[in-house]
Amino acid sequence: MMELFTAWVGSIPAFAAPFLLATAGLIINERAGVMNLGAEGVMAMAAVTSVLMEMAGHGTALALLSGIGAGLGLAAIFGIMAVFLRVDQVLAGLVAFALGIGVSGFLGDGSENQTVNGISPPPGSDFAFLPKLLAGVLDQDWLTWFAFFAAIAVWFIIERTDLGLRLRAVGEDAPAADAAGVNVALYRFGAVLAGGVLCAIAGAHLSLVGAHIWVDGMVAGRGWIAVAMVTLSRWNALRAIAAALLFGAIQALVPQLLSSGMNVPVYFIQMSPYLATLAYLLIAGLFAKGADAQPADLGRPYLREERR
Amino acid sequence: MPRLILSPRLAASRRFTFLVLLGGILAGLVVSGGFLLTQGMGLSDLASQFVGYTFGNPAGLDQTLTRSIPLILVGLSVAVCLKVKFWNIGVEGQLWAGAMAATAVSLYHIGPEAVRLWVMCVAAMLGGGLWCGVCALARVRLRANEVVTTLLMNYVAYMLAQQLLYGAWRNPQDSFPVSKVFAPGETLALLGFGHVHAGIFFSLGAALFCWWLCGFARVGYMAKAVAANPAAARAVGVPAGAVVLLMATLGGALSGLAGFTIVCGEEHRLTQFVGNDFIFPSIVIAYLARSNPLGVVVAAIAIAALYTAGDSLKAFYQLPGATVLTIEAILLLCVCCAEFWLRYQLGWAKSTKVAP
Repeated sequence: MMELFTAWVGSIPAFAAPFLLATAGLIINERAGVMNLGAEGVMAMAAVTSVLMEMAGHGTALALLSGIGAGLGLAAIFGIMAVFLRVDQVLAGLVAFALGIGVSGFLGDGSENQTVNGISPPPGSDFAFLPKLLAGVLDQDWLTWFAFFAAIAVWFIIERTDLGLRLRAVGEDAPAADAAGVNVALYRFGAVLAGGVLCAIAGAHLSLVGAHIWVDGMVAGRGWIAVAMVTLSRWNALRAIAAALLFGAIQALVPQLLSSGMNVPVYFIQMSPYLATLAYLLIAGLFAKGADAQPADLGRPYLREERR
Repeated sequence: MPRLILSPRLAASRRFTFLVLLGGILAGLVVSGGFLLTQGMGLSDLASQFVGYTFGNPAGLDQTLTRSIPLILVGLSVAVCLKVKFWNIGVEGQLWAGAMAATAVSLYHIGPEAVRLWVMCVAAMLGGGLWCGVCALARVRLRANEVVTTLLMNYVAYMLAQQLLYGAWRNPQDSFPVSKVFAPGETLALLGFGHVHAGIFFSLGAALFCWWLCGFARVGYMAKAVAANPAAARAVGVPAGAVVLLMATLGGALSGLAGFTIVCGEEHRLTQFVGNDFIFPSIVIAYLARSNPLGVVVAAIAIAALYTAGDSLKAFYQLPGATVLTIEAILLLCVCCAEFWLRYQLGWAKSTKVAP
């Protein structure tokens, strides 16, 4: 039982990292007032591209970079639609989702289920002097470590720098930001690209760290979960760490339970984080807590010449 | 120096609207066709697959019409919700809820046998309506973003269905994760043309009803007011919250009905594949039809034909299953970008003279 518990706790960070990266990326988007439903597609593009590059023998670093490039390309298409052409953001996000899933299906066709080296935790424990449970948590590969530092960096930039202040201004009140001399479209597009990079790294994490293969449909709704997790973490990248650990813990629990052969309602357990997010939304609404956290201009395109 | 500026277009004529949308659809078809040509298909192959097989061949037409039955309903679901600017991303969850409700009626023998099918139909609509209605209530009363709530409810419904299929509802005979086959009186009759079943009357009837509701009923008129300007609508006495709640619940009920047509018309039991791949098609259909309920029927049949063609592309040209999704995405992308010209115009900034 203790063995099982240690294994479960040790596997949580790697399960949580893709959620965390994608959520941090979407927080950048939404704080600038852009709702991006295309995260799932961006993750799929990055996942398939990085595996294909690794299979072609280009090395892990280049694989990761090209994964980021592919995700960035899709994020740019979304950004052009949502920011410059002022297409409804929900619609533009859905297009990015479908385009990413569709094209990644084409790219990965015929290369499915082929193992690549990817990124693994260093052999042996660097933290053997610590208690076993703690060492298990800390023994992670570098991309997983990066996810947690990236979330902290995103929090710092958004909440504590001038750049973040302008970004938040664009998301809270675009006309006021415009009047103060902030280029709204530029900031929003920049936020979409920056968020796209993080979502792409999340996708590459899935294929390079998590699965070491590409399978069609392997993102399996994680991009959508990230969209909901932005709400759960109240648009704050530090709280996103807690939210990602919650979802990661539940996801890591399921294979452990299945392999232990215990008779438990697996699907009810998997349902619980969704119900928790829904319950959180409702409770926040009841006490009017979420209302002040959501960027006021979220989802509203801005054009100076247009009446609001 | 002359400067390009983007400004809102105040009014677009009908002819211009039509031309722009047609241009968007044609551009989408050309880009998708070009994409398929790069995948090793010839022009004549494209024509024979997309026109010959889907419409000129009884088997293809049968498949298209059968597939269009739930697609019309989910398209209507999104379209009705869009009438009050409510983004329904949860048609899959509502469809699962409807399918589960109908199956529960069959498994637990609820209601007299003579009207069992109708009880299943009503239960499915209640299930779907409930699934979407709670999200609408959360938006109206608690200002919860409906994109997130309807999205989450998809997963809740899916997990619930899996739990039931692997648990209480598992087929006792062979322990596969499917429910028991419905009794003959609990299924929709075939119409004598392949797999096309009586569900098509439900779809077409629903389309007519929505057309009447949105175009001629008082609620439809109120919905227009709420969509155009909620604050102004409330100020002149339109119960804006109730209208959103009503339209969204109706939308959910339509998706639930789609679940009913699938379990009672196609599968004749609850399976794991009842509610897969409906979210994006439903959005594409509603958007291409510009939320017009009668237009939804046409758009749904076109998208169903795309699925039929996709199946044969998969079989004969070894194209991946993602083909249809990609084409749908390209089509929607082109139409969205074309619509930009309906809402905005580019012009040179006039040099304004400042009074001395």
